[in-house]
Amino acid sequence: MASLWSKISAVLPASEADFPLQFSDTVQQSVVEVLKWCRRQLYSGATSPGQAALNAQIVLDVSWEKLNMGTWRHVDKEWRRVYSYGCLFKVAALCHEDPLVERLLQAVRTCDLGLLMGAAIMDDILQVIVRILQSEIRRSGEEEHQRDRAEVKRIKTESPHIPEIKDECAVPRIKCPSLETFKTSFLIPLRPVILEGIIDHWPALNKHPWSVEYLRSVAGCRTVPVEVGSRYTDENWSQTLLTVDEFIDKYILKKDGGNVSGYLAQHQLFEQVPELKEDIRLPDYCCLGERDEDEVTVNAWFGPGGTVSPLHQDPQHNFLAQVVGSKYIRLYSPEDTDRLYPHQSQLLHNTSQVEVESPDFERFPEFAVAPYLECVLWPGDVLFIPVRHWHYVRSLELSFSVSFWWS
Amino acid sequence: MRWFGFGFNAFGQICAQKEKSDEGEANTTEVKIISPTELSTTVDGSGCSFKTRKIQASWSRRVSLRGDGDRCVFLAGFKSFPSAESSGCTDAFISESHLTLAFQDRIETWNLQEEDKTPSWNMEISAQPESSGVNLPLAPGGYITSKPPFYYHLSAQLKAKSLALGGGHAVLLTAAGDVYTWGLGSHGQLGHGGLASEEKPRVVEALCGMPMSSVASGGWHSACISDIFLTEGGDLYVWGWNESGQLGLPSRGLWRASQHKSSQQSGEKPEESGTSLDGEQQEEDKHEEVFISIQAFPALLDVSQSCEIQKVSCGSRHTAVVTNTGDLYTWGWGEYGQLGHQTLMSSDEPQRVEFFKDEQMRVIDVVCGTWNTFAAAIKKDDAYS
Repeated sequence: MASLWSKISAVLPASEADFPLQFSDTVQQSVVEVLKWCRRQLYSGATSPGQAALNAQIVLDVSWEKLNMGTWRHVDKEWRRVYSYGCLFKVAALCHEDPLVERLLQAVRTCDLGLLMGAAIMDDILQVIVRILQSEIRRSGEEEHQRDRAEVKRIKTESPHIPEIKDECAVPRIKCPSLETFKTSFLIPLRPVILEGIIDHWPALNKHPWSVEYLRSVAGCRTVPVEVGSRYTDENWSQTLLTVDEFIDKYILKKDGGNVSGYLAQHQLFEQVPELKEDIRLPDYCCLGERDEDEVTVNAWFGPGGTVSPLHQDPQHNFLAQVVGSKYIRLYSPEDTDRLYPHQSQLLHNTSQVEVESPDFERFPEFAVAPYLECVLWPGDVLFIPVRHWHYVRSLELSFSVSFWWS
Repeated sequence: MRWFGFGFNAFGQICAQKEKSDEGEANTTEVKIISPTELSTTVDGSGCSFKTRKIQASWSRRVSLRGDGDRCVFLAGFKSFPSAESSGCTDAFISESHLTLAFQDRIETWNLQEEDKTPSWNMEISAQPESSGVNLPLAPGGYITSKPPFYYHLSAQLKAKSLALGGGHAVLLTAAGDVYTWGLGSHGQLGHGGLASEEKPRVVEALCGMPMSSVASGGWHSACISDIFLTEGGDLYVWGWNESGQLGLPSRGLWRASQHKSSQQSGEKPEESGTSLDGEQQEEDKHEEVFISIQAFPALLDVSQSCEIQKVSCGSRHTAVVTNTGDLYTWGWGEYGQLGHQTLMSSDEPQRVEFFKDEQMRVIDVVCGTWNTFAAAIKKDDAYS
């Protein structure tokens, strides 16, 4: 059986001369010099992995500082590319001699950091390498995932309290409408609706039903961003990076007995883990938009019961598909924005100050007369949230949703 | 006066390569210098040693300004070009891409990445009335940065005295002792109490009424010292990001790293016993209120009992001060040895650099490069009390 290093070598350029290191002037020559040291060490047999790792770390440290300067939007893509190269060189240093599982996991994490914070380099080589690493890990540890089955079953039998939905406020439901019907009755007039039956064909709902065990097996060792804290408007809210296994242990199964909320929210998980992408499909109705279908942003939302997304609005249409578990959702029209008291600050002006399920009517009197629609979203349901429609979401139990932002 | 350096040395900016290998083998220098190492004395054409009166460092280089004889500069570190004549230079300022030189009659900024025959920018100045001359990066009527258009105006009303340019922000000290900041504010580095950025200089109100005598800025943090002649003086104020303990305040990141290390050393495997994870979480919750990740208003930092702070300098994520007792204290990110405590550990508490005490030396100045630190020291018997 081929060694790990030979598999990784096979996907790298054949020689130093074939290995590209092109950057704009934004990246100073001194930094490019360190990258050249890394490249040379990659192809020379003589270097100690310690030395190679050291130089890779220099690249990671200097680009990390650039990535954290100013807002994410303004970070020059060139520095994100440098960061990805740093990850590549670090992974190479980690995988040289037959590494043990601990090292393999570190290498996977390094690839993930490059995929999350870097920019694609060399035909998305980090994605190629992480796949090699994952199969290497699977080969060495199949048994570990069996133990958790009992625990998951325990969590699932607790039945959630389902809020009563008043008929006059209920979001309308329609089964498999034609494109024309959807467009005329809901898209053009910007009316929310729950589409039933349109994702029944998703492998995530039949062939490969998504479950905690399935997610562990496909992406357990992968590092993802997790939101910690009850809601993003709270002072103690923060984001952290965890593996899917760690997230499940700590926030879904709550093994450490803590009671802080954790939510794998608004993350393009399907770009990071292509195997999961094959379990879902782009809703046909997205073709009614003006933009290209490959510009649709697909996000994963995975968390325990009780996660809350405060009342807010987004600048695009949304199809929120429910795959596992259930969610309570309330919707307000943009016409009633004044009754929803949005925050004044630039950062939060798309978020309401009101706590939807326990509103302070003294501070926010008009909220009491703001009309709304509400629903409980069940597996198989897809909620259409028109652009800029205010929405509040609370998971009622372990939940996995997929959102599609389109225009 | 002897200069010492420690920290990041991948380009030989502290001490040169032990031997140059012809194949250009990656690098044989020590990348991380963890203990203060004396900078080798430069010798000029006539064999006289070059007395360094000022040092400044960027990420990959160090510039030494000669203090006697033919005033000029010496550059160490990553190869650079400037065909600049530096003879007669009164001040120098270095960034990763440019070197700015001030002379009696002009200021020039040279591109370190190109072999230009002329400076990228220059301006003529009239001979300064004060003996000190130009205080880079301040220039008459404004200041100089390393990006076009290089020169930015500053209102004369500010009466700018010294300017510290950080990673994405600026900290200005006025003649009256007020502190103004502007630029990126996302990590509280402007000291106005929020995270907003500022386009124009804005006074740090929390410090109004307390004249400051010097200011410093790092990647995402700022510091200043209160004037010893006017107040209880010699106090250090810090603000900005504390993710590596660079403010000298408790840092959650460092605490977590130390917990992880100690559980690894004792052989515990976190996933085996549910209780050990539980214990860790409870410990962290106990300290919860204490951790500071962003300090958006200036905070007084007690470096050492009854010591006055005389100098402060900030690197990207670390801070160094010199006290009136001749001690050097450092804290913050230490993974390249830039704290000088003979380890690669970071620290969120000010610690004295014992080397100088052990060598019976009195530290009189400190300058931080991005990931390293330079200190000037004299033998204790040479010092006048």
